[in-house]
Amino acid sequence: MIAQRLLPLFPRAWRERYGEEFLATVGHDSLRMQQVIDIVSGAIDAWFSTDVRHATASSPAEPSGGGPMTLKYLTACDRNQARYTKRDGLIGSGVMLVATSIFVVVGIAARRAGWSVTGDVLMSLAFPGSLTLSMPFWLMKGQPWRAQMVIVGGTLSLLIAIGYLATLI
Amino acid sequence: MAKRREDLLASLGRFSEPALCILISLADSPKHGYAMTLDIEAVSGQKLGPGTLYGAIARLEARKWIEPLPPEDRRRPYRLTTAGEKVLRHRLQSLQALARVGRARLAEA
Repeated sequence: MIAQRLLPLFPRAWRERYGEEFLATVGHDSLRMQQVIDIVSGAIDAWFSTDVRHATASSPAEPSGGGPMTLKYLTACDRNQARYTKRDGLIGSGVMLVATSIFVVVGIAARRAGWSVTGDVLMSLAFPGSLTLSMPFWLMKGQPWRAQMVIVGGTLSLLIAIGYLATLI
Repeated sequence: MAKRREDLLASLGRFSEPALCILISLADSPKHGYAMTLDIEAVSGQKLGPGTLYGAIARLEARKWIEPLPPEDRRRPYRLTTAGEKVLRHRLQSLQALARVGRARLAEA
């Protein structure tokens, strides 16, 4: 069943809170590509949305208002606000600028050294690669480090593969 | 206050329309996810994908506009809260006013 295979894409807290009913809801239909895309985008949303994290942080056995005091406090303080601060954004921007410079400089050096393919790949990574590397400092702040490693590592690997494929065309 | 409630619903971004559909679906009785999907499809012709449905449910639940009931088998029904009902009423009034203006302008044209 495709839905069961897609379920691990969601954070554990989400699966514990909504997993059963999600499968019960999806179970009636065979999944079309549009639905698969919807589920994958839902999984990405579940990782990054503050609201979804708040909803999944409360126990499913407690219908309303039963969360611990800390959670209530955090919910009250954090609702409708970005999880990262202005400072995090500035740090993220700084990481992006430094990473972009490194990719470009090393790319140019590689080209001059005769490694044109590596140079092209590094140059093509200048923006998407630096954005990906900056994500743990702001967009993914507060996420488990394993998730950050998988997402950043996976995205970089994919970008490098795409970059190499592009040089073959 | 009415304006504030509308803004709250609009603050759900791309989930504001699915959230409105869910609130409307729960207006008459509690429903679980699958029943909501069927009801929304019957009422609006729009079939909510599972990712969108649960993204909207989580947001509504976080704002305490809907609340979960004890699960029945594997399914968990949700019901509209008093706060959710107020938000829905204000949103529907706003849409009604908008529709009235639209219809009047079409009649003039």
